Amino acid sequence: MATPIYVPRINNNDDEVKVLAFDVGVGDKLQSGQIVGQIETDKAVLDVTAPSEGYVLGFVAKAEEVVKVGSVMLWLGESKDEAVPEIQDAAAGQSASKVSQVTAKARILLEQNGLQAELIPQVDGRVTVEAVERYLATKGGAKVEAKLSAVSQVLDVLPEVEGNQVNLTREEKGMAATVAWHRDFAVPGYIEIDYDLAPWAEYAKRFQDEKGLLMPPLLPLMAWRLVELARETQRLNATFVGNKRFEYAPVNLGFTIQAGESLYLAVVRQSQALDEFGFVNSLGDVLRRAAGHNLRESEASGATIAFSSMERWKVKRHIPILSPHTSLMVAHAAGQDGRGVLGASYDHRVLNGGQVVAALKKLSSPKKS
Amino acid sequence: MALTKESIEAEIKAKVVEIAAQTGDDASELELDDIIPATGLIDSTGLLELIAWYEKHYEIALAQEEINIDNLGTLTRMAEFVLRKKS
Repeated sequence: MATPIYVPRINNNDDEVKVLAFDVGVGDKLQSGQIVGQIETDKAVLDVTAPSEGYVLGFVAKAEEVVKVGSVMLWLGESKDEAVPEIQDAAAGQSASKVSQVTAKARILLEQNGLQAELIPQVDGRVTVEAVERYLATKGGAKVEAKLSAVSQVLDVLPEVEGNQVNLTREEKGMAATVAWHRDFAVPGYIEIDYDLAPWAEYAKRFQDEKGLLMPPLLPLMAWRLVELARETQRLNATFVGNKRFEYAPVNLGFTIQAGESLYLAVVRQSQALDEFGFVNSLGDVLRRAAGHNLRESEASGATIAFSSMERWKVKRHIPILSPHTSLMVAHAAGQDGRGVLGASYDHRVLNGGQVVAALKKLSSPKKS
Repeated sequence: MALTKESIEAEIKAKVVEIAAQTGDDASELELDDIIPATGLIDSTGLLELIAWYEKHYEIALAQEEINIDNLGTLTRMAEFVLRKKS
């Protein structure tokens, strides 16, 4: 059966692209992933690849032609002799219009699950990831968690400017995967409040003096307050999977730490089972191992809620990226004139702005005993 | 070369200066008896880096309860603590 290769979307703002050239001819045998040609917009050039092996049966688009995203570019067949499906102009236009209503992420999810867009009940006239996930859920949902990070692979193109590609370290790959989750799955929002630095500073100083601590405990104490809030309000310690909120049993507090060139999210698992001093000590242990690049496997993953500070860089505010499967990451920053900014990135599928502000207000001062 | 209190103090000070420089601070005038966290020359993340380096460089494992001002608060105390752990 003939298989179409569609014109892919390069970015959300361009519904039409220009076909630059084809690298293959009619009758050529192609391997899966082989480059068949290039398309371009004002901003980027993209290689188009074959989704499967097959023979080039014929071209619908032409080089130098401007075509609609989602329209058929060329046809592949299992043998050289298959007929090219006939597409009437009107029908082709209709088809292109229909396909272009499939979002880029949804298209990848469809491809990963071997589905046609026509099968999916549309949401507001579009085939979205949510619509595909709903459809999959009705079919058992076995493949609902298909990864969408392929989006970046599809859209990545080498820049025109000369340079070298460098392999990523393990930590860099981990960070790339983390930020891809934020982009591909979360519906992120960011909110911040202004607060008085003095109550926390005084509390932390007292705590440090009483315990004879070397490390200033301000940030661990604030992180502990966040653990307490997560214990009190289950929704803060949750994520969103398969159109449902997933509420975690443990509170695994993730804390960002920059160690040399590496950025870690060091995790204190089962934080809810600790007391304040126990948590400060546990976090100190984990952070010390992170600083020495010796994090244990269990300490480098599994965060359910997170805390990040850029105070050391004198940054006045920052918008953190959500760690995979978290819905709240608090952003602490450097204060000025006795006032500070406490912010949070959150997954709007799980939390709304009012709920985040309520949490930040509670976090902005030590718990009243 | 045998470790001496003076050589350890010098090595630790060099590390503090290096860490402080990451955030644009100059720790070259740090005195042997200055309480390091109180100087503000290095923050809590910098202290973590210092302690991680200290453990690795002198091949000593620290328990969390040992990480306090009395043992590690100054250059001199850090040097003396290494010698105690090694003895």
